Amino acid sequence: MRVLIVEDDLEAAAAMVRGLSESGFEVTHAPDGADGLSKAQGGEFEVYVVDRMLPKLDGLSMVETLRREGDQTPVLFLSALGEINDRVTGLKAGGDDYLVKPYAFAELVARVEALARRRETGSVQTVLKVGDLEMDLIGRRVHRSGTEIDLQPREFQLLEFLMRHAGQSVTRTMLLEKVWEYHFDPQTNVIDVHISRLRSKIDKGFDRPMLQTVRGAGYRLEA
Amino acid sequence: MKLPSLFRRTPFRLTLLFLALFAAVSSVLLAYIYVATATEARRRADAEVRTELTDLTSLYNARGQDALNSALVERTLREGPYLYRLASAQGKTITGNIGASPITNFHGQTTWQSFTLTDTDKSGQVVQRGARGVETPLADGSRLFVGVDLGDAEAHIKRVSMSLWGAGAVVLLLGLAGGLVISHNVERSMAEVNRVVGAVQDGDMSARAQVRGAGDELDELAIGMNTMLDKLEQSMASIRHAGDAIAHDLRSPLTRMRARLEVAMLDAEDGRADPKTALGIALGEADELLKTFNTVLSISRLQAAGEAPDPKVFDAGDLAADMAELYEPAADDKGLEFQAEVQRGLLVKGNREFMAQALANLIDNAMKYTPSGGAVMLRARRRSSGEVEFSVTDTGPGVPEEDRERVVQRFVRLENSRTQSGSGLGLSLVQAVAEAHGGRLQLDEGPGVVDNSGPGLRVALVFPAAS
Repeated sequence: MRVLIVEDDLEAAAAMVRGLSESGFEVTHAPDGADGLSKAQGGEFEVYVVDRMLPKLDGLSMVETLRREGDQTPVLFLSALGEINDRVTGLKAGGDDYLVKPYAFAELVARVEALARRRETGSVQTVLKVGDLEMDLIGRRVHRSGTEIDLQPREFQLLEFLMRHAGQSVTRTMLLEKVWEYHFDPQTNVIDVHISRLRSKIDKGFDRPMLQTVRGAGYRLEA
Repeated sequence: MKLPSLFRRTPFRLTLLFLALFAAVSSVLLAYIYVATATEARRRADAEVRTELTDLTSLYNARGQDALNSALVERTLREGPYLYRLASAQGKTITGNIGASPITNFHGQTTWQSFTLTDTDKSGQVVQRGARGVETPLADGSRLFVGVDLGDAEAHIKRVSMSLWGAGAVVLLLGLAGGLVISHNVERSMAEVNRVVGAVQDGDMSARAQVRGAGDELDELAIGMNTMLDKLEQSMASIRHAGDAIAHDLRSPLTRMRARLEVAMLDAEDGRADPKTALGIALGEADELLKTFNTVLSISRLQAAGEAPDPKVFDAGDLAADMAELYEPAADDKGLEFQAEVQRGLLVKGNREFMAQALANLIDNAMKYTPSGGAVMLRARRRSSGEVEFSVTDTGPGVPEEDRERVVQRFVRLENSRTQSGSGLGLSLVQAVAEAHGGRLQLDEGPGVVDNSGPGLRVALVFPAAS
């Protein structure tokens, strides 16, 4: 999968190129907004990673231009601006996700992966299947190997997100943002406890655990 | 500061301006009165002269020159303002009380003219007085002149003008004096304000203007300036304090991190230990530091903006329920009883993210300081005043009353909390969020001492209801 990184901080860009390449992405780098725009217009990418503050053409304008031209490639904004309204402007300009610097590397990879895979499941699904785990989105029921699992509404949403990103690492922050829709930073490991409750429901009594902890990153649902 | 010259002082200049205006208006008025009075006097004189002339000519027409002559003789003997002269066709005086006709441009028709009479008054001084007269030809070719001395009317006009000028001069003088007094007073009051401004310019932030107690706009200015200086001094102090605190509080974790990295480097050089663990811990510490910086920034921006960004109306009850749902498992995991009592329909206007962060900080604190076996309770309700109140009550050690104001300040951590992780910014952020929404933060005692724990803490976050 091809990723375009538009970032003027060359050291940060080099680290990103290396990290994403190691995670299996084919990475192209543009050092400014104008170069980023022409590279994006000239190539096929699954994800754009765009810094908001760029020389020549700022990240917001670059993405707005691409969106006007009909380019729907997912965009992950990177920014040192972490204020809530900055995030809102970023998403309004056509961004799909917003990551505030400094970030853990695992966080960046997990988010790029999530955006890259998002395109693959274009059609509307009514049933999600991961291994022997099955989720009926209309009846709001979950079965594993034929046994029904009783889930609270939030646990259902959490599992749905994990199933939609099966095989990918998802971070705690991503879960808080996408499942609870909050962007603050809880000091207590609230997400871990929710995961462990969910884990006890879907993995207890089965010989193979599906919900795995990824060290230093977060969690992954494996088939 | 150099004192401005008298003419540069505003009140004095205003006085001069008004006096000039007054003088101009008075002059116009005076001129009008003069012209009106003079015109009226002439009109009356003309009417009198005409009546006299008509009387005399009709006498002449009816009874001839002799009758006119005797009438004129009789009239000139009377003391009066009238002047008469009957002259022959050749211009020689026949009768009259003036020697020559003052009408200079007589050409055989009735002619009116104004002229000047030279006379000697009672004290023997020569005076010139205005007069008005008419000369008309009679049937036999002789000429009759009748005139009137305007002296009285003129004197009257002069008296009126003189008294008007006099009054004007008095008003001007009084005005000037008043202007000087006012100017002096204002100058004295402004000097106080100027003194304070000068002192502050020279760096003395404690200078304050004296309020005279007159309750006028100068007092208002002084009070306003004092209040402004108070606020300025406060915020300068708090910035200084925050700066010191940031430097002080970030130095220890940085020092710790540095030591850890140094040890890791030495260990790695000697091949004694894998530096990965130490690097991992250092990374975590760096993250904590950055988080602290971000929180400090958020607090400052909220305080600087004075209002929450992107405010929307939403149900605070929903938010509280969300938070309860998010935190309940973690509390449970820590062996704490978690309860939530949440009313719905508590509409507030604000930034949901910031309010969520504030509420999360309160729950985080409660969970952090309450020992296992205790309880944490989250409430969201409408106060009888209509305000919306979130409260988090715990059964932890609480905060002694004398420290409650202090713990809200940035980087303040109480002695017995030093063992816990945290930056000492949690409550400061909550406070900043509360203030940015026109709300407030209140710390009280919790439910009291139960089973060796307590007395607990009750923290209330109160917001105005959305209208």
